[in-house]
Amino acid sequence: MDRKIDYKKTKKRLDGRKMDETRPLSIKTGVIENADGSAYLEWGQNKIYAAVYGPREVLPKHTANPLKSVIKVEYRMTSFSVPQRKRPGPNRRDQEISKVLGEALSRAVFVEQFPNTEIGVYVEVVDANAGSRVACLTAASVALADAGMPMRDMVAATGVGKAYGELVIDLNKDEEDAPDAVDIPIAILPNSEEIVLLQMDGLLTRKEWDAVAKLGIKGCKQVYEVQKKALVNKFELSEAKGKGQATKTVKKKAVKKTVKKVKK
Amino acid sequence: MRDTVMEYETAKVLKLAREGKRVDGRALDEVRKISIETGMSENAEGSTIVTIGKTKIIAGLKIDIGKPYPDNQDEGSISIGAETLPLAHPDYESGRPSAQEVELARVVDRGLRESKAIDFKKLCITVGEAVWVGFLDFYALNGDGNLFDAGSIAALVTFNNAKLPKLDKEGKIILHEYNGTLKLARQPLLTTFAKVGGKIMVDPTYLEEKASEARYSAATTDDGFISAMQKGVGGSFTLEEVDYMIDKSFEIGDRIRKQIKQVK
Amino acid sequence: MKKVVIPGEILFEERKRLGSNVFVSEGKIYSKVLGITDNENETATVVPLQGPYVPRRDDSVVGVITRENFAGYGVNINSFNECFIPKSAMRTPLTLGDVIIAKVSNVSELKEADLTFPKRMGDGEVISVNPVRSPRLIGKNGSMLDILSQGTDCEVFIGKNGRLWARNGDLELLKKTVKFIEENSYKSNLTNAVESLLRK
Repeated sequence: MDRKIDYKKTKKRLDGRKMDETRPLSIKTGVIENADGSAYLEWGQNKIYAAVYGPREVLPKHTANPLKSVIKVEYRMTSFSVPQRKRPGPNRRDQEISKVLGEALSRAVFVEQFPNTEIGVYVEVVDANAGSRVACLTAASVALADAGMPMRDMVAATGVGKAYGELVIDLNKDEEDAPDAVDIPIAILPNSEEIVLLQMDGLLTRKEWDAVAKLGIKGCKQVYEVQKKALVNKFELSEAKGKGQATKTVKKKAVKKTVKKVKK
Repeated sequence: MRDTVMEYETAKVLKLAREGKRVDGRALDEVRKISIETGMSENAEGSTIVTIGKTKIIAGLKIDIGKPYPDNQDEGSISIGAETLPLAHPDYESGRPSAQEVELARVVDRGLRESKAIDFKKLCITVGEAVWVGFLDFYALNGDGNLFDAGSIAALVTFNNAKLPKLDKEGKIILHEYNGTLKLARQPLLTTFAKVGGKIMVDPTYLEEKASEARYSAATTDDGFISAMQKGVGGSFTLEEVDYMIDKSFEIGDRIRKQIKQVK
Repeated sequence: MKKVVIPGEILFEERKRLGSNVFVSEGKIYSKVLGITDNENETATVVPLQGPYVPRRDDSVVGVITRENFAGYGVNINSFNECFIPKSAMRTPLTLGDVIIAKVSNVSELKEADLTFPKRMGDGEVISVNPVRSPRLIGKNGSMLDILSQGTDCEVFIGKNGRLWARNGDLELLKKTVKFIEENSYKSNLTNAVESLLRK
């Protein structure tokens, strides 16, 4: 990108967003039937599947921890998820991300409740555009809740940083390539605002850090609201309807709709 | 939560098979419901999600410029890879491709390549210098048997809808711009059978595969050719059984090809 | 009033008697899991909507024999660990794939369960359900179990570990009804809805 982009002048980002606006985020649960818990997440162009298996026996047995469950995260990307084909098999970046994601989640899950077991968390990126690791962590947290795992809080994550002269939330790929880009993936436990994931690439002043940290925590809390909706929306606390009762309510709803239209 | 005790469940499958019945009530020659979705991975030059019953896979194609092989200076190439992600089933392990994954990829590849559906000469950019090289990788997202046929459908649909990248004046790929498609000469599809309790059943589920003594796949085309065959697992088939399976493959292949035609 | 809560969601800001699946932090009570809570309840408790089977003493379970060695049998009870039954505990020998019912007599710190009173079940079918929803299948004092067996003419045994064993009667209707209870376990009016399903 040779053009001199200056967010301080344009007041809008390359994709039209405000500085503190995240890309659209949507989450669905229960998408992988074989798993104990699962989620499908879309964040901007990012598309991610997350699945949880466990708690289950650890093999080999001698690697089990008699005091708690071990959370094992595998972060992977399909070969076609990125513009330049990614060769199959985990690379060093995959391994590092798997490790920090596992560490973030292990602070949230009550692992002491399931000694001698492991909880397998698998996240697969099938389309990527910056921020895949925070998207995966967000999805993994939802999949863990979907599996009924006991947690002290959800793990909500987002990216913050700097691009083209301004502090921004949720950098996209174009912004990651900015000459002054700073990328900070951050994740918190929303209740306590404890930070369970924090990494940084780039140069920031102390003042910039203070501002961007606040922005990050605020962003994580917005992500938390989406996670909550995804989990809760599946369960309607209505009356159970047996034979013959379901159709009645459906008819009623349909009638109500048409009446509204006529009135307009 | 899924609870399968392999020994108990496969015993059930065998018992029913001996009576010519299946756990899900299907006829021996009945294929599960198939759904096909395309275009979800924007970074790919083509992508498809196929579900057969509860089996779900995602395939994606990356096309890049490569150097032709010395004895085929005017031909491009394709390569097919497969992964049974641990995401998709509690029994799938991560790590180096297993013998099963390698066989899966090679059989799907064989059906497509040997049918001469893709004219590799059409993939030539500059003779002796630059050719199109396509990598199609498919991944299991939820494993319930018959990844062969799911992979075959996904590969065919992806290649049918593939977009060739646009080249700039210097012959370099322009990201996210396309120019042309691959026009396949024919539509090969795999149909896979398992021999369970002595009975031949098409489109086996995961448990039926586990209970089977032999497996057979045939690739057939819309213009009456058989383009590949593979017998797998132990056990054996009589010639009558193979002839029966070939006939069924044409019948089922034609039906699925009709469904594929309606996918945009 | 009932509410769906997620892990870490705050339930009460004051002291209350503590039930299951909740924890206290800085004087406030939070949910540990995805589940249903009722703030009119005297006890702060959450009924999980999802989750594994964790064996508890006195649970009745449906097990499947998965292994055999010279000393006894390995039993899968749909939990993190397999159980073991010594050959001396059975009057007649068991084979792989056999279904048994048993009682959990003791659970170790590692959640390993000891089984007593194993009984081999004959030809029947094992139906799997989400283990945390199985209490609704049993009902208060076995009331839902009675409705199920009477409404389908099936011989039914329900384990706490997310498994039922059943035979005779209308097994298809039983499976359908069990699935309905599982999907609607957290809703009100469940008993009436189930009875309407079973009415022929």
